Formats: sequence, C-alpha cells, structure tokens
Amino acid sequence: MNGRGVTTDLLLGLIPITLLLAIWQGTVSFGLAPPTLLPPPGHVFMRMAEQLVTASFDQEILATLFRLFAGFLIAVVLGIAIGLAAAVNPTINAAVRPMVRVLAPLPKVALYPALLLLLGFGHESKITLVAADALFPILLSTYYGASTVEQKLIWSAMAAGTPPSEILFKVILPSAAPSILTGCRIGLVISCIVVFLAEMITSTDGLGHVLITAARTFQAVDMFVPLITISLLGLILNGLLQAARAYLLRGFPEV
Amino acid sequence: MTLRALIARLAPLLACLGLLAVWQIAALALNNDSFPTALESIRAIPAILDDKEALINILASLRRMAIGFGTAVLVSIPLGLLMGRSRGVASFFNPLLMVIYPVPKAALMPIIMLWLGIGDLSKTLVIFLGVSLPVIYHSFEGAKAVEEKMLWSGAAMGLSAVERLTRIVLPAALPEILTGCRTGLVLALITMVTSEMIARQSGAGNILFNALDMGQYDTVFAMIIIIGAMGICLDAAFERMRQRLVRWSEPQFDIPLSFS
Repeated sequence: MNGRGVTTDLLLGLIPITLLLAIWQGTVSFGLAPPTLLPPPGHVFMRMAEQLVTASFDQEILATLFRLFAGFLIAVVLGIAIGLAAAVNPTINAAVRPMVRVLAPLPKVALYPALLLLLGFGHESKITLVAADALFPILLSTYYGASTVEQKLIWSAMAAGTPPSEILFKVILPSAAPSILTGCRIGLVISCIVVFLAEMITSTDGLGHVLITAARTFQAVDMFVPLITISLLGLILNGLLQAARAYLLRGFPEV
Repeated sequence: MTLRALIARLAPLLACLGLLAVWQIAALALNNDSFPTALESIRAIPAILDDKEALINILASLRRMAIGFGTAVLVSIPLGLLMGRSRGVASFFNPLLMVIYPVPKAALMPIIMLWLGIGDLSKTLVIFLGVSLPVIYHSFEGAKAVEEKMLWSGAAMGLSAVERLTRIVLPAALPEILTGCRTGLVLALITMVTSEMIARQSGAGNILFNALDMGQYDTVFAMIIIIGAMGICLDAAFERMRQRLVRWSEPQFDIPLSFS
C-alpha cells in the first residue's frame, strides 16, 4: 500500500460521512423536518463542544467509562482464563462447552432485570451485564486460537525441555494472541453498546441516562450529543486497541 | 461409545438443568422476596402463555424480528461481498460503518420514535440496523479471503463479474457469512427486547419490563426463561441449517460464535 493509495482511500471514505451530514443539513434547511425533531448538525456539534467542557457532562462520561472498563476487564480476564483452560484440559472442556452452548445465544439484556433485583441499581449490576456480554466473544476466540496452535510447536518446546506450565505461557498464549485480540475487539464494541443500554434502562448517571432524560423532555439536540459521544468513544477505544495490537503482535507476519 | 455420544448430545440439556439447579439453590439460600426460585418461575410460565394477549405480544415481537432480520440479511450480504471484492467500495463504506458500529442501535430508538412513531416500523428499523452491521462485516471478511486463483479461473472461463460474485465468491464466503448471520440473529433478539423496553407498546420486552416495574417478580423471571429459550432454540435451529448448507467446509466452531 503506497501513500497515495491511503490518501485516496481516506478521501473516498469521507464521502459518505460528508454526504450524510449534507443530507442532514439539507433536510433541515429545506424545511423537510422541523428543527425541534431534527436539529441542524452545526447546532448539535456546537452543543456538544459546549457540553464537553462542563464538569457535569464529564462526570457522566467518566461514570460510563468506569463501568465500561470494569466490565470489559473482567470479561477479558475471565474469557482468556476459561478459554485457555478449556482448550488445554479435556475435563474442563467437557464442562465448559455445554455451558457456553447454552449461555452464549442467551440475550443477556433480558437478564438485566434479574441483575437489578439481585445487585441493586448501582454500578454492580451494570458492570456484571457488560462483563457477561463481552465475555463470550473473548472466550470463544481464545478457545479457538488456543486449540488451533500447531502441535509441532508444542512438541518442539517439550523436546527442548520446557515444563508444561511454561508451554502454556510461552507457546500457546503467544500463538493464540491474534485470535484473542480479535475477540477483545468485538468485546469492546459490545461493551460500549451494552453499557449505554444498561444506563438507558435504569440509571442516575452516565451517557445513556443523558439520552433518556433528553428524550423525556423532548430536547432533540441533547439526544444527539450522547449518541455522538459514545460513537467517538468507541472509535477512540478501538484505535487504542489497534495500537496495542500492533505493539503486541509486532513479531507476527501481517495479521 | 453410543453412551458417550448420547451424553455428548444431551450435554446442553444437562447444562440447562445444572443452571436451573444452581439458581434453585441460590434462591433458597438467599431467601429474597425479589428472587423467586427456579421452580416458582417455571410454574409462572403457563400463566403467561395461557394469556391470549401475552401470546399475541410475543408473536408480534417474533414477527418484527423476522422481518428486520430478513431484510437486513438480504441487503447486507451483497453489500459485504461487494466491499470484500472491490477496494473502492470498501474504502467508501468502511469509515461510515466504523463510526456507526459502537453506537447502540437500540439507543437510536428514542430519536426514530420521534419521526416514525412507536409502532412496528421504528422497531423493525432498529432491528434491521442492529443485524446489518455484523452481517456486512463477516461477508466482507469472507469475500476478502476468497482465493484469487479461483476468480482468475472463473474469468478465464468467461464468467461475467456478476456471475463470479454469485457463483464463486458467494459460496466460498458462505461459512463466514453464516457466522455473521448467527451473530445477527442473537443481536436481533437483543435489539427486539430493548426496543420494546423503550417503546412500551407491545412485545415480549414490554411484558418483561412492565412486570419488573409492577414488582411481579415471578413473571419477570418467567419471561427471562421464555426469552432465553427463544434465543437458544433459534440458535440451535440456525446451527442445524448452517450445518446442512456448508457441510463441505470444516467445522470451525461447534460452539456458537455469537456475541452479546
């Protein structure tokens, strides 16, 4: 890929986004939609810039981020641990596999009322929901990555006298890393989505709560601000994860 | 050997029973009013299914889900395949999709409601949006990984571009596409529940959250079982169809790669 190709791609990619903004502006300008229902984009971004510097809005973002990270990290730790264990140990595999088969297709949002009743309306229920939702993609891709490690690598390590516990960390974990990171990426997007939904359902703070408050008072502008904020947060976090991936996988052929 | 195969087949069922048993024990141990035991919740299910209105609600949910899922799949697969085969199309849509991906689709519900009302149209639209992204993404990845040589051979034998897309790229990408569809199916169910939670007008999510607000805890947990069972059944049915369609491909995941 040369430099010119990248810039052309970038310019091409900007077209639909600009087009979308233009259509948005157009519908407002030509009076197709009343500004109370669809505020002009300039207005929304102004409002967003205004909000971003206020302490109260930053508090909401921080609350959301805290839940997002806590849930995501729990999911990463549990997912990688269970995934590796299931790939390495047949007994654990026999126990985990049917559990995952049943739990993975279960819509976790439906569990949220139960979590609310059990854990209360605070951070705990939301973090648990985020962790439960992000867990399965990470677990499954770890399992997949770890169970497709080339047997020859493990044999060579054993022949070289590596103890079994070290094989796990020095052979299996690194060679499963690309797959694990792909799972983490999916898990991250899901965490963004779920934390927002949980805050919409019941919350006293967070971006989802901002949206619901705005919706109940018919403040169309304030409804767009949290949506755009969560989209930007998702983009930034995704970018950070990509950077971490590029660093962690620097020895790998193109992945 | 046959006994072992039998156990392997029954394993998901055993897992279900095990989970219910854990629930029962936990509920008995906690002895909390807002946490009914598994048996109590299961006993509440017939009452819900007997109620004609509840049944109509659940069927309405399923209908919206089917329409949203169906249209999303029909639109997303061609788009994803085109993106996978043409760099221009890919770089045209990729940034837009990246921006949309982390936005929770059900969160668009309040805005869409302002324009389209709280009826079927807005809920189906939200489900459509929720399903289309993973399907596009997986079709894209699948089409990208198609071996060039096969396309060259196809071109050499005089297939037109459209024919190459439908007769070479589509079958080759099918396993990956179906993985995306499976993810989309679970997402459709989630979006369905949340959209009905926001626009409380009809549907399974409506019953669930209304029961929560009114403190009918056994109904809450019974609805959770019903929605969960819907998810598991749909997933199992889809898996069966997938195995039939792509029997030739190596079974990559025999546990579902569904997310959220």
